[in-house]
Amino acid sequence: MRTKWKRTLLTLVAGSLVVGTAACSDDSTGAGGVDLEGKKVAAMAEYKAGDQFKATEPLDVSLLYLDQAHYPLKNDWLLWSEITSRTNVKLQPTVVPYSDYDQKRGLVISSGNAPTIISKTYPGQEEPFVSSGAILPVSDYLDLMPHFKEKIEKWKLQPELNTLRQADGKFYLLPGVHEAVWQDYTLAFRTDELTRLGLSAPKTWDEVYTVLKAIKAAHPDSYPLSDRFEGKAILNYAGQTFGTQAGWGYVKNTTWNESEQKFDFTGVTPEYKQLIEYFRKLVDEGLMDPESFTQKDDAAIQKFASGKSFAISSNAQNIVNDYRPNLGNIPGATVAKIPLPAGPKGDVIRGLRTENGIMISSKAVESDKFVATMQFIDWLWYSDKGQEFVKWGVEGTTFEKDASGKRKLKPEVAFGGMNVGAPKNLQRDFGFSGGVFAYGGPTELLQSTFTEEEVAFQKTMADKKVLPLAPPAPFDELERERATLWETPLKDFVLQSTLQFILGSRDMSTWDAYVKELDAKGMTEYMELVNSAYKRYKEKNG
Amino acid sequence: MVTTDPTQLMERLDKPAAPRRTSLDDSRGYRIFRVVNVVVLLGVVAVTLYPFVNIVAQSFSSELYIRTGQVNLFPRGFNLDTYKLVAADPVFWNSYLNTVIYTVTATAISIVLTTIYAYVLSKHRLKGRNLLIGIAVFTMFFNGGLIPNYVLVSGLGMTNTIWAVVLPNAISVFNLLVMKAFFESLPAELEEAAAIDGLNTYGILLKIVLPLSKAVLATMILFYAVANWNSWFQAFIYFDRSELFPVTVYLRNMIAGASSATAVGAVESNALAISANIKAVTMVLTVLPIVVVYPFIQRYFVSGVMLGAVKQ
Repeated sequence: MRTKWKRTLLTLVAGSLVVGTAACSDDSTGAGGVDLEGKKVAAMAEYKAGDQFKATEPLDVSLLYLDQAHYPLKNDWLLWSEITSRTNVKLQPTVVPYSDYDQKRGLVISSGNAPTIISKTYPGQEEPFVSSGAILPVSDYLDLMPHFKEKIEKWKLQPELNTLRQADGKFYLLPGVHEAVWQDYTLAFRTDELTRLGLSAPKTWDEVYTVLKAIKAAHPDSYPLSDRFEGKAILNYAGQTFGTQAGWGYVKNTTWNESEQKFDFTGVTPEYKQLIEYFRKLVDEGLMDPESFTQKDDAAIQKFASGKSFAISSNAQNIVNDYRPNLGNIPGATVAKIPLPAGPKGDVIRGLRTENGIMISSKAVESDKFVATMQFIDWLWYSDKGQEFVKWGVEGTTFEKDASGKRKLKPEVAFGGMNVGAPKNLQRDFGFSGGVFAYGGPTELLQSTFTEEEVAFQKTMADKKVLPLAPPAPFDELERERATLWETPLKDFVLQSTLQFILGSRDMSTWDAYVKELDAKGMTEYMELVNSAYKRYKEKNG
Repeated sequence: MVTTDPTQLMERLDKPAAPRRTSLDDSRGYRIFRVVNVVVLLGVVAVTLYPFVNIVAQSFSSELYIRTGQVNLFPRGFNLDTYKLVAADPVFWNSYLNTVIYTVTATAISIVLTTIYAYVLSKHRLKGRNLLIGIAVFTMFFNGGLIPNYVLVSGLGMTNTIWAVVLPNAISVFNLLVMKAFFESLPAELEEAAAIDGLNTYGILLKIVLPLSKAVLATMILFYAVANWNSWFQAFIYFDRSELFPVTVYLRNMIAGASSATAVGAVESNALAISANIKAVTMVLTVLPIVVVYPFIQRYFVSGVMLGAVKQ
C-alpha cells in the first residue's frame, strides 16, 4: 500500500517535471532560460524591429541620471513628457552630478539600491559589479530587444560585443553602438601660420615633425606644440598609427598580436618603444612643450590662444568652443583639425564601434513589468526612431525635415554651432541631445549635427583602414584576483616610465633595464595568465 | 593647584606678563628673527590671498582675457554681465537657499546636541562617564564606512529629506571635547550656589552655565556653520533630486564637470561650455557669506579656541 502511494507520488512529480520542461521550451523564456511568464505586464505582445513601443499600461522606470552642469536637468523638459506620451513610460531619474558620478553609481549598486537603468557606463566599468550579481547579464535577454539585435546583425558588431564578455561568456553592459568607427580627436594647427610659412598640413607623423621644426625656426623661443589632456589624447591617437596603445588607449596592459595570435605586453613592444622615441625627439628638440604632459587644459588653451603655441590636440567641439572664440586677440588667426596623420603602421585607425551604454539592475528581472522595461530600453536607445527623437527632439517643435530628409533645427532653437543666439537651447530648454540618451547610432544621424568642416574631416577619416580587434580573454574569479595584484603596479610603472623616457629624465639606453624591472613586477606571469585565459575562452566558445 | 575664586583666576589670565627686560629682546639674533618672521609670514599671506583675489578679479573680467591668461590681481575687460547672468539663474538661487536652510538647521541641531553631551561629560561625579567619553572618542578613529552608512540612512527613510544631511555627524567629537573642557573649567561653586538657590539641573545649564559660555558657543557655531556651509558629500550621496542640492554640489559639478570631460573615450565631450568667468562668479558668491561673517565672530573665535586649553 505504502509503496504504491510512493510510486504514484513519484509518477506525479516526474510528470509535472516533463510538463514544466515542455512549458519552458515555448517562447515564454529568454535565452538564459529564465521563465518570463508573469513578467509581461504592460509589455507589447508582438514587438519587433521597426515597431513603436508603447506600454499597454502606465509604466514607471527608475534611471540613474548623469547631470551635466551646463544643461542641468529640468522636470518640465519636453523630453520627459514626450517619452511618456509616446511610450506610456514615466522615467524617474535619480540625479547624480557629473563630477562624482562613478562614486555614486558604485555606492547605489553596492548597497542594493540601484535604479533599474544605470546609464552612462563605459565598457570595463561594469566589471567590478559582475561577481556581486547586482547587475543583469543582459546578453541573456537580447530576444526582448529586436532593435538592438537588428543593429548588431546589420552592422556586424559581434566582434565588438565579444570584447564585453566576462568569464561566464555573458556580457553585462548594453553598449552604445556606432555604425562606423568614429575618430574625433586629432591635432589642430594654426592654419594661418602654416600658410604664412608656406607649409601644408602634415599627412604623416614624419611630416608633423618637419612642420613643427619649421614653425620652431620661425619662432625660436616658442614650443610649437603645447598639448592639453595631459598628453593622453595625442599619445592615444598617435599610438594607434604606430600600432600600439598609449595615453587614453592604455586601458589594459595587453595588445593583440594578430600575426602570432597571442597577446603581448604593450609597454615592451617595439611599436610602443618607437612611439616613445618619436615623442622623445619632439621634446628633446624643443618642438613639444614638456608641460604638455602635466599642465591643466586651461593652461594649454591659454598658450594656444595667446599665440605662444601653434598646435594642440582637439576634437570637433574644442575647435568651436575653446580655440576659435579665444583666438580673437590675434588678427587673422585661424585654426583647423588636420586629418589624423599616418604612422609607421600605415594609414590606420584602431577603434571600437561600441561606447558608453547602460547597465540594468538585476532586481529588474523580479518585476512583473520586466519585459515591458526591456522593450522600452530597446526602443528608446536602439531604434532609429528613438535615436532620432532623443537627439533632435520632436519634429515640428524642435526641428524640421526637408523633402530629402535632411533635418534642420527650428530657427528659435540653438544647439552647438547651429542657430547661435536663438532664444532656446535644444539641451538646456528641451532636454534633447543629452549625453544620457543621445549617443551611437547610424553615421548619418551622428553626423547630422556636425559642422560642414567636421563632415569633411570625417570623410577623410572614413578612408582609413581599421585595425582588427583583440579577441576576448576574460578571467575567472580567481584569476581576476591574481591579475588585479599585477595589473595596477605594471600599468602605473609603464605610464610613469613612458613620461620619464619622453621627458628625458630617463635615458632611452636604459630600455633593457626597464623591461627587466617590469619582469620583476610580474609581467611574464601576468602575460601567461592572459594568454591562457584567451586560449580557454577560444576553446570553449570557438 | 586648585583655584577656587573665579575672579582671581580671571585676573591672573588677563594680566599681561610683566615686561621683563632681558638681553634676548634686544639681541641681534632676535631682531633678525623678527624680520625673517615678518617676511615669511607676508609670503604666506601672499600665497593664500592671491588665488582668492585672482578669482575675484576673474569674476569681473571678460572671458577672452581669462582664457588668454591676462587676468592677475585686477579685472581686465571689466563687466558685470556675468554676475547678472548667474543671479538670473533660478537653479543657483534654489541651491543657495538650500544651503542656508541646511546650514542653519544643522548648526542648531549640532549646538544643542553637543552642548547637552558636553555638559553631562563635564560632571566628574557622573557614573559611566568614562564609557560615554569612550563611545564618543571611538567614533573619531573608527566608522562604519560609506556603504553601511548609506544603507543605514536609506533604511531609516531619510534619503531625500533634510534629515540625511543634518542628523548624521551632528556631533563633532573634537568640538565636543573642546566644550567639555570649557565646562570643566567653570567653577563648581557657582553651580552649587545655584542649586542651593533652588535651580534644577536644566535651570543651572540654561541660566548659569550657558550665559557664561558665550565665547565657546560662538566658536562652536562658527565651526559647525563653516563645516556645514562647505560640506557637499552627504548631500551628494543622499539626495537624488537636483532641487535638493546645496550650492556646493552645484559649484562642484560646474568646476569638476568642466575640467574632467575627458574620461577615457568620452566621445561626446560636450561638457565644456561653462566659461571661466561664470565659474569665478559662482565661487565668489558661494564663499561670500562666510567671508563676511568671519570678522564679526573672530574676537570670540580667538578667545574661544583657547578656552579650556589650559586646565588648572
